[in-house]
Amino acid sequence: MSETATRATTHREYSGSGEEILRIEGLVKHFPIRAGLLRKQVGQIHAVDGVDFTLRSGETLGLVGESGCGKSTLGRTVMKLLEPTGGKIFFDGKEITGFSRRQMREVRKGMQIVFQDPYASLNPRMTVREIVAEPLRINDLYDRQSGRKRVEELLRTVGLSPEHGNRFPHEFSGGQRQRIGIARALALNPRVVILDEPVSALDVSIRAQVINLLEALQQDLGLTYLFVAHDLSVVRHVSDRVAVMYLGKIVELGTREQIYDSPTHPYPQALLSAVPIEDPTERGKRERIVLTGDVPSPANPPSGCRFRTRCWKAQEICATEEPALIDRGHGRVSACHFAEPLAPLALKDGGNGSAPGSL
Amino acid sequence: MTEVPANGPLLSIRDLTVEFGTEDGVVHAVTEVGYDVFPGETVGVVGESGSGKSVSVMSLLGLIPQPPGRVTSGTALFKGRDLLKISKKELRELRGGEVAMIFQDPMTSLNPVLTIGDQLAEAIRTHNPDVKADEAEQRVVALLALVGVPNPDTRVNQYPHEFSGGMRQRAMIAMAIANQPSLLIADEPTTALDVTIQAQIIEVLKAAQHETGAATILITHDLGLVAELCDRVVVMYGGRVVETGDIYTIFANPRHPYTVGLMDSLPKLVGADEMLRPITGSPPSLMHLPPGCTFHPRCFLSGGRLPCRTEVPPLRPVGDAAHLTACHFAEELHDRHPERAAAGGRA
Repeated sequence: MSETATRATTHREYSGSGEEILRIEGLVKHFPIRAGLLRKQVGQIHAVDGVDFTLRSGETLGLVGESGCGKSTLGRTVMKLLEPTGGKIFFDGKEITGFSRRQMREVRKGMQIVFQDPYASLNPRMTVREIVAEPLRINDLYDRQSGRKRVEELLRTVGLSPEHGNRFPHEFSGGQRQRIGIARALALNPRVVILDEPVSALDVSIRAQVINLLEALQQDLGLTYLFVAHDLSVVRHVSDRVAVMYLGKIVELGTREQIYDSPTHPYPQALLSAVPIEDPTERGKRERIVLTGDVPSPANPPSGCRFRTRCWKAQEICATEEPALIDRGHGRVSACHFAEPLAPLALKDGGNGSAPGSL
Repeated sequence: MTEVPANGPLLSIRDLTVEFGTEDGVVHAVTEVGYDVFPGETVGVVGESGSGKSVSVMSLLGLIPQPPGRVTSGTALFKGRDLLKISKKELRELRGGEVAMIFQDPMTSLNPVLTIGDQLAEAIRTHNPDVKADEAEQRVVALLALVGVPNPDTRVNQYPHEFSGGMRQRAMIAMAIANQPSLLIADEPTTALDVTIQAQIIEVLKAAQHETGAATILITHDLGLVAELCDRVVVMYGGRVVETGDIYTIFANPRHPYTVGLMDSLPKLVGADEMLRPITGSPPSLMHLPPGCTFHPRCFLSGGRLPCRTEVPPLRPVGDAAHLTACHFAEELHDRHPERAAAGGRA
């Protein structure tokens, strides 16, 4: 593989000054649950249940949470690959919530998506050249002379060689397929790319190559990323700001430092404390918050705060009053009645490996 | 259950080679693998997909399909018996008894039409025919309580589909330790689970180890899990062991370029957010392994030197006797974290 595109970039400082490019207000996506002979709707999955955030030009917003929290659904609903149940989406100052498929075509020139599974997201009957050229053709931007050149340029941009263009997806490894998916997403020169678990299916050594590629592309092309992932270390590495989701809602959103160094919501606190750290000398030297129980069903979320059933801070108010995602005096928004900064990754005082605390 | 000589290994694998015959050619899944597991310790076998980490362990227990798989050489002495030579019947008696397994996906390892309690009781009574039914049931409830299944009295009568992923994995662990094994084999036990559930299962695994005193082989791709749970590490690449040693040594001073590359590829959750330095290229095809050192085409240290391309580097001691590496030029690598090496001792 060519190394030109895998050269790494050092992390830039987040200034927070970029112009707003995407805004989501109260976004809701429910899926019907049907049962019986007549497929009558008997309930609904609250996959995304009132989400607000803003994406600023040039930044990476990490969207992190466990399986079933709605992070991938959110990414797809923002692209209108799934029709939102409620709420508003603004792209480039225009509300696109009610846009038709035809109108969305124009929007998607500016906003693209890369999927997790590089095996399922590429058509096995198309050559790599055809796959990468497809967005250009759909938008009537592929002409005989320049089209071929553009595809070759795109392949080189993601670290593949133009000769790869004649091959089929099955001839490539997982990491190379993900590069093809990225080349396809870049074909229309988008400003925003939604990355839906882009490296989760890849082995460690290959994952690092793709992360470096994404960072280099962001810098070279001035891209804005919504980076959806469950791996907290990967999200820390790539993000300027981070939103943590639990059961269809964002529970805390702040700068990377705020979320990783001093989260105020108990869920990110527990989540961060639960990750095994690659340093045996620090084993047992962190307070580990082991949550009890499982995530409740999104078909029947708890009243009030959705995290209360697993929360050690829960009081009566948590069951009756839903905590809003607002600034609670810590410079970022947090949806906890009892928000309070904690450093879940700091070493314990004295640090002589006593038994990890569990709650 | 203690015929093991004091200080001797519980399991000693030597020169294990496993191949798979396919239409396109021979897949060299595991080549000349050797390591020891001592009583009570936890050994992490780490590597990426296709490194042979799972096959090397599963082939010892007769758990790879034969054909197409075949063990072409090797010995695996477990308490003095060679697992690769004993009969299928003897192997069956060992599995679930003295040697117990925990798999990645508990749904495929539990029988969907039997209650959790029935399956656990069966596991106990298969290996201990003298145990009476009510005695077995009491033990099952106690086991479920031990692994943190809430309301074990009622849960015992439920079916696997009524358990969540984390609860199923607890039931699997309960089954694994039901017969007081001396060796636990955990193959990616938390890979299918979310972080918060993984944290629960790690605690359960520790409790299970504590309860049985069993040695554990943890097969995983997650270096964090290794740092959290293991005493020693075996790093595999392209079907071979490339480095082995105690975890403090390996994490502080890796002496194989692949191990170094793995660590440099990992984004960190704590400390400075450093630039990732990926390993270039892709893992080798197990059908067409490169000559010499399997890692040389991706190696930053080799620089295309002749020995790397022509001679398979033997596993040899580097630094102390228990730290082995399969690199011709290991001495050229520098300590990653000299300060951690100094901090050496167990936390």
